[in-house]
Amino acid sequence: MAKIPLLVAGSALCVLAGSYFALAQQPPAAQHPMSFFVTSVGLGHGANLGGLAGADAHCQQLAAAAGAGNKTWHAYLSTQARPGQPAVNARDRIGQGPWYNVKGDMIAPDLAHLHGDTLELARVGNNITKLTDLTEKGEIVPGLTDGLNPHDREYAYMLQHPESNHHETLTGSMPDGRAFTDNRDHTCNNWTSEGVGNSDNLRENNGPNAQVGMSDRNGGGNGSWNSAHGTTGCSQDALARTHGIGMYYCFAIN
Amino acid sequence: MSRLKKTAWLSAAALPVLLGSLFALAAQAPHPMSFFVTSVGMGNGGNLGGLAGADAHCQQLATAAGAGNKTWHAYLSTQARPGQPAVNARDRIGQGPWYNAKGQPISDTQSELHGDTLIEAERGSNLFKQSALTEKGQVIKGAGDNPVMHDMLTGSQPDGRAYTDVADHSCNNWTSNGPGSAQLGHSDRQGGGNTSWNSAHASRGCSQQDLAATGGAGLFYCFAIN
Repeated sequence: MAKIPLLVAGSALCVLAGSYFALAQQPPAAQHPMSFFVTSVGLGHGANLGGLAGADAHCQQLAAAAGAGNKTWHAYLSTQARPGQPAVNARDRIGQGPWYNVKGDMIAPDLAHLHGDTLELARVGNNITKLTDLTEKGEIVPGLTDGLNPHDREYAYMLQHPESNHHETLTGSMPDGRAFTDNRDHTCNNWTSEGVGNSDNLRENNGPNAQVGMSDRNGGGNGSWNSAHGTTGCSQDALARTHGIGMYYCFAIN
Repeated sequence: MSRLKKTAWLSAAALPVLLGSLFALAAQAPHPMSFFVTSVGMGNGGNLGGLAGADAHCQQLATAAGAGNKTWHAYLSTQARPGQPAVNARDRIGQGPWYNAKGQPISDTQSELHGDTLIEAERGSNLFKQSALTEKGQVIKGAGDNPVMHDMLTGSQPDGRAYTDVADHSCNNWTSNGPGSAQLGHSDRQGGGNTSWNSAHASRGCSQQDLAATGGAGLFYCFAIN
């Protein structure tokens, strides 16, 4: 009575085991669960993310919708020191790695590789590139080669044209993944401000500002993934002016 | 003379638009080209006729693009051989600053180009897919394009210097189109598990086919030394 189901199960097992071994011979695909992604959408209020808590919740929500809610997700964002409030370094919020994108590609094995903590590591860089820097849905984030249209610096246009360049990721961080220590705002007031800058020129704005990285490693003077340059303000329109819509990196800490 | 002037004016008018996408990195006046990726390889795998042959290829392409007034060197290292000291690619290319065919900056200094300090190395230079143009101003097909041609022959370590071990990293100092291997960079800083422009991974061999197998066409970087 129980024999037939057992036989069936047995032969099913062989088939399954066969395909498992076939998979094992290929480069790691679905074997590493996702522990890194770029948010597929921003929060819609410029760089006001509701602080780190709001940003983390957005990571968690997007991850959960993509079936990865079993992990704890943190946004890769720094905050600057304020009276009675020490600085928070993005790199201290994301666990120890290794981190993999939704396709199982390794982004970096550890914090030192991710940030280039030694000259040797920094020179070769991590594996964050346009083709690995995927959203939780597996989408490539359009970068400098894409959406060549003068309107790709306008938020309304960019929202309606997801193919337009929006390669900037909010980080508020220095290249080593730590918070800025000067007096200038680099975090849109610790991710609570939608303020407009005091110049549309990136170099002249010394008002509300967020340090951004380049998800496609193209542009911004150096192609840094986490600290290429600032913004012209913290509103959606200001972020759009330099090709951002308020996306950022999320890492699983466990 | 007047034609030159006209060209200069046209470039000056086009410059703000071009630089717009790179956030107006300095410069109002057009900078003449002092860096490019070879638009074509030499067709013989890793055999470039040594450094001399590679330099001549740079010079020839530059001349065809109207930049023959400068002295051009290939960004290639050679390894030490009996009676022949090593040559470091970084020591062959002048001191910068270097600009691409559209006048966009690639790097201001040797130190920035090679990341000689930790902060410079962490950030990287302005050499990436949209700036690493050929002498004709074309973007090189990179990861995700077809066919991929982003593998750049360099024979160099990430610091721009020659390898010092016994293995071949320079297709026998750029004379082999068969056995051996060449260290490669990526003009788009994508692929190979890192984002190195000059030392991402090794080639499978030195034949033209071997170079193509990992996404290359025997292309390399050329810099004006003056």
